[in-house]
This record gives sequence, C-alpha cells and structure tokens, in this order.
Amino acid sequence: MIESWIAMATVTGTLLRRCSRLSAAAAPLSTSARALGGGGLPTVVERHGNRMVIGYGFNGEPNYIDRVDYPIPAVRFKEDNAQIKVLREKERGDWKKLTKEEVQELYRATFCRSFAEMQAPTGEWKLVLGGTMLACSIAVWIYLFMKVFVYEKLPDTITNPEKVEAQVQRMIDLRMNPVQGIASEWDYEKGQWKN
Amino acid sequence: MSTWSQLSFQDSASPLMEELIMFHDHAMLVLTLVTTLVGYIILTMFSNKFIDRFLLEGHLIEVIWTVIPAFLLIFIALPSLHLLYLLDEYDNPSLTIKSMGHQWYWSYEYSDFLDIEFDSYMIPSKDLEDNQFRLIEVDNRMIVPMNTYVRILVSSTDVIHSWTVPALSVKADAIPGRLNQLTFLVNRPGLFFGQCSEICGANHSFMPIVVESISMNSFLNWINNFE
Repeated sequence: MIESWIAMATVTGTLLRRCSRLSAAAAPLSTSARALGGGGLPTVVERHGNRMVIGYGFNGEPNYIDRVDYPIPAVRFKEDNAQIKVLREKERGDWKKLTKEEVQELYRATFCRSFAEMQAPTGEWKLVLGGTMLACSIAVWIYLFMKVFVYEKLPDTITNPEKVEAQVQRMIDLRMNPVQGIASEWDYEKGQWKN
Repeated sequence: MSTWSQLSFQDSASPLMEELIMFHDHAMLVLTLVTTLVGYIILTMFSNKFIDRFLLEGHLIEVIWTVIPAFLLIFIALPSLHLLYLLDEYDNPSLTIKSMGHQWYWSYEYSDFLDIEFDSYMIPSKDLEDNQFRLIEVDNRMIVPMNTYVRILVSSTDVIHSWTVPALSVKADAIPGRLNQLTFLVNRPGLFFGQCSEICGANHSFMPIVVESISMNSFLNWINNFE
C-alpha cells in the first residue's frame, strides 16, 4: 500500500521534472520587439526559443501546456535539432516505415505527456480526504472537551424521570399540540399511547 | 408549547396560524422541488461526457430557465401577499387587553369593564412543581375567552421588549411611548406559551408569556371574581 503510494509519487515527480521548463533544453531567449510603433513602448520578450509554433494553443500565447481539452499546444515541447529534423523528413513518408522508438521520439519532441499520463490518477484525493477527516476530528475533540470541562449539568426537569413523566402527563391533560404533536399520539379513549 | 427537540411550528390555536402553517408547507414544497432539481443537475455534471467547451448561446433554454423561476416566484408570492394582507385585517374585537413590558415581567390590564391589573412573573426553577415547565411558567396567566376576537395593545414602561405567542402567530415589540396593536382569535382551550423576543437586559430570557384560553362563561366568572 505505502509502496504503491511512493511509486505513484515518484512517477508523478519524474514526469513533472521532465516536463518542467527548467529541464528542457535551455531555450535561449529570443527578443523580438513586438513594439507597436512609436517610442518607449515595452518590448515583448518571447521565450519559446527555437520551438516551432504549431497552433493557437489555449490562449494564443506561444506557451506549452498539457491540457486534455486543448490537445494541440501552441509550440512544440522540445526545440528542433538536427536529429529531429531527420526524423521529421522520414515522417513525411510512409508511417509504417517508422520504428516504434522513432514514433515515440517524434511524439516526445512535440508533446511532454501522453493522454494516459495526463489523465493518470494522482492520488491527491487521499490527501484531501485525510485532511478533511483530521479537521473534523479536531472539531469532535473540541466538542468532547466542552462537554467534559465546560458545560453545566442539565437541569433536573430534564434528567429526573419522575418530573419528566409528570410534565408529559400534564401536556397530555392540557391537550398540547393536539394536531401533530404530543397530544395527538395519546389515545384519550383507551388512556394509552397510540399504535 | 414546543416539546423537546421540536424544530417545527407548534400546532396552531388560531385560524391565521393555520394559514401560516399551510403557506409554509407550500413554500417548502417549492424549495424541495428546486433543491432536488439543482442537486440532480450537479450530480449529473460529475458523470456526463459532454465536452463542448465553446458553447456560446442557446436562446430557447435561456428563455425556459428564466420563465420557469419567474413562474415559481409568482406561485409563491400570490399566497404570500394574500396572507400578508389577511393578517392585517381588523374586525372590531370584543375585548381589549393592554400588555405592558417591564424589566423583567409583563403586566396585563383589562380595563374594558372593571379595572383589572396584575403582574405576570416567571416562576423560578427552584419553585416549580414537578409537572410544571421550566422557564415558561408564570404566576398569573393572561386569561382570554375562546372564539372571541381579542385585541392586545402592547407597550413598555422602560426598555424595548417584545410580546409574542407563536401558536397564535402574533408578535409585536413593546416600545416605551408607543402602542402596538395585535388581534387574534383563539379557537381551542388550553395554555399557550411565548417568551420575550427583544433583548431587554439580564433577565430577558426569564420573562415568559402565558395565555390561558377558557370558555366565555368561565372567563366572565373570573372577571367578576377577580380581586
């Protein structure tokens, strides 16, 4: 149980490290001045380096993100190099000629995680559930503390069974709440509780 | 009075309270309907497979989900307004009682025929009989005849209190220098309890109200023999 939890955390950590932008090939900043004419307007620095823009992405900015609902990112994940260019040329031909490793390398050049990896369970629910139950148990402890150390005793009109019985008898005699309440549960003809 | 752990209304002792209970049931039904529908929609949202993120408009459904709530609101508002105005109707009460709030007791004056005045203090818990109810019993109850339209004029001699009997659907603040009028009709005999409903000092929780409803003959006897 714990081993599987640790394994899941390790895999997630590996994926996250792999896909973090720090571990990708260091992308030199390319400064393109998207100035809008005139002087003194800020220059926008585009940070996608040598990564090819392949689509609109989720907001039009050239950033990479793994999202199930935006399957094609704005930029490829990895920068182009000579090796990948060779594979891209081969990709233009018959796909059946690509080996399994080449297909995977092409995929990983453009995408960080596969759909299965994106949608894999993270086990975060255990943390949330555990934290919630911990908070609830603290509340229960506080309640128990109050019950033992803070609250006074209940009055004897509630705890003394003779008094309670006398009060109930009086409620019946007074026909209290005769429609749906206590007097409605008493059978006045037979002198006993109904049902 | 409310029995232990009672969360609902007390059974009514006046026709207006019956109407209020029925309206409450009606509004609760509408609320249950809406809550069930919304709850169902929330649950199905967790399990459906709809993935169109770029839905922009749907005029028909927007009309539907605007008209239906408007209709539901009208469905609630009509009986609500009917009852609101019904509660303020006035039909020449036969009896007028003045209820004056003090710190911390009520006093009642029946000045229609003879000058009858008395104070109504809570019975302290240590002085209760075995069958008496804690914190709501008083030494002198306000006596009213059954099936008679009664008017209560509520005021105060010091700070603001509030006179109420939930089983009769009446409540009015007792404000010094002001008379507030309540009218009701009690349609069954018995004891009906209430508690001061406006914070008025240390013993605000310990100045209850008890209305005792008896037959007209008994009431006249009581009036004549009052000393």
